[in-house]
Amino acid sequence: MSRLRSAGVNLVHLWPVAFLLICWDVWVLVNGYTSTVAPRPWFVIQDVLAGFADYVPSISYTLGMALGGLIGGTLIGFVGAILVWWSAALSGIVTPTALIIRSVPITALIPIIARIVGYGDPAVLASTTLICFFPAFVFTLSGLAAIPEAGRDLFSVLGANKAQVLGRLGVLYALPNLMVSVRITAPSAVLAAMLAEFLMGTNGLGALFSESRSYMDMERAWGTAVVATVVSVLVFVGAQVAERRVDARLT
Amino acid sequence: MSTIATLPAIAADPTEPATRTAVSVIGADKIFTLGRGKKLQALAEVDLEIAEGEFVAIIGPSGCGKSTVLRLAAGLDEPTNGRVEIFGAEPRQLARQHRLGVAFQEHALLPWASVRSNIALPFKVAGRPVDDARVDGLIDLVGLTGFEKARPKQLSGGMRQRVSIARALALSPDLLLLDEPFGALDAVTRRRMNAELARIWGEEKITTILVTHDVDEALILADRVIVMTGRPGHVRTVKTVDFPRPRDAEITRSSEFHALVDELTCLLDASDGAAA
Ligand SMILES: Nc1ncnc2c1ncn2[C@@H]1O[C@H](COP(=O)(O)OP(=O)(O)O)[C@@H](O)[C@H]1O
Ligand SMILES: [Mg+2]
Repeated sequence: MSRLRSAGVNLVHLWPVAFLLICWDVWVLVNGYTSTVAPRPWFVIQDVLAGFADYVPSISYTLGMALGGLIGGTLIGFVGAILVWWSAALSGIVTPTALIIRSVPITALIPIIARIVGYGDPAVLASTTLICFFPAFVFTLSGLAAIPEAGRDLFSVLGANKAQVLGRLGVLYALPNLMVSVRITAPSAVLAAMLAEFLMGTNGLGALFSESRSYMDMERAWGTAVVATVVSVLVFVGAQVAERRVDARLT
Repeated sequence: MSTIATLPAIAADPTEPATRTAVSVIGADKIFTLGRGKKLQALAEVDLEIAEGEFVAIIGPSGCGKSTVLRLAAGLDEPTNGRVEIFGAEPRQLARQHRLGVAFQEHALLPWASVRSNIALPFKVAGRPVDDARVDGLIDLVGLTGFEKARPKQLSGGMRQRVSIARALALSPDLLLLDEPFGALDAVTRRRMNAELARIWGEEKITTILVTHDVDEALILADRVIVMTGRPGHVRTVKTVDFPRPRDAEITRSSEFHALVDELTCLLDASDGAAA
């Protein structure tokens, strides 16, 4: 009974989705668009449901690339921040590099990345890694900088060395911050993966989108966009759950 | 080789007292720079000499620099002028050798670690195997049996303080610094912890500096009580307390005890006046 009710409450929470779909439909009808310009939502949803098997390989590819880049970029950012925290000399190299990487738009970087690491999978993975790297770097660094004075004092009187301060204190203070970075970069990782796939047209949802568009299969193209949105939201929600878990465990 | 090895024996003077100096603070000033050229003098020419195995209590109005004295002894801060030596070496030496125990005023527990892991932390940092029996003993001592797995956020302020005391005692340190460790405890628990601390001190004879604002507590525990003046902190009086130990309720009810409490409370009030 109560479970049914909470399911009901959750459904009610989905009203923005329903609202969006209705707006979409009204927009198509009012403008009198043909399905080659903009298909009605119901046909798009029908295509996704009926042809879901055709979407699955693309979804899993994009998801894999996004998660791979998310994990890889987060780890690299984490390690980079630790190196910077550890050594002032390294700070002089890593921090400017990170800033430069950050200030160039990812769209401009993808062709360059592809030239360097090769078209296809490596370029897609490198793009998603790159997009996740910088936030992880900054958030980890701020976590390390925010080790409470009392904690430092404690480790100092216990006679801890720098590695112990890092391993037993710094990392654990940085982890909740790192999870914030994971949550905010997770949807961008999906976006970067799709953008790279779209530009290079190999695999994944980005490629599926560009392919269906060139065949004028607009239901499929719009379906890809809908699926990508759902994937993105799910990745975000997953990251949020992980963040809450880490927070509950560490604070 | 053998001559070098016997040197200390030759140098040792049989007339020398058996106790070494554990802590010596000589003419220590502490001036904090507050930015925009402003300065705050927390300590003015503090002199302290504490023998090995001695229990010294420091009392004084709040803000008079009691915590600052402990931080100097712990090697967390350096005096602006003057010198601090712990067992004849610079203070940080003792921490590096894992021979220092400190219970901070703000307890500084690791939020992700259980009571047990927090108390076992000194063993891990020192790279020693965790002595489970010792940790259990300390948990029992501070009355937290049943809370071994609890995390700091699940504990009351007083319980957290007790964890921090147990952690300070974990490695049986050579110098124990306690900064108002019983401040958050109710009167009954406080007296019980006082008795336990007196018992441990009686057994292990750890050189201890206790900062407190409770005159009774200072007199129950200490060999000497140091009264500090208000800012800048300075040693006003040193009072030797020679009630026999253990100092049970009979002693705390005696008129001598009350007289001493009154005397020290007066001194404290006078110190407070000087600060205002
Ligand atoms: N790190 C610091 N920077 C500036 N002022 C400080 C610092 N630490 C302590 N003080 C000041 O020094 C004085 C003595 O502080 P403290 O030793 O904590 O006093 P107590 O422990 O006796 O209450 C206070 O006025 C305090 O504000
Ligand atoms: Mg204090």
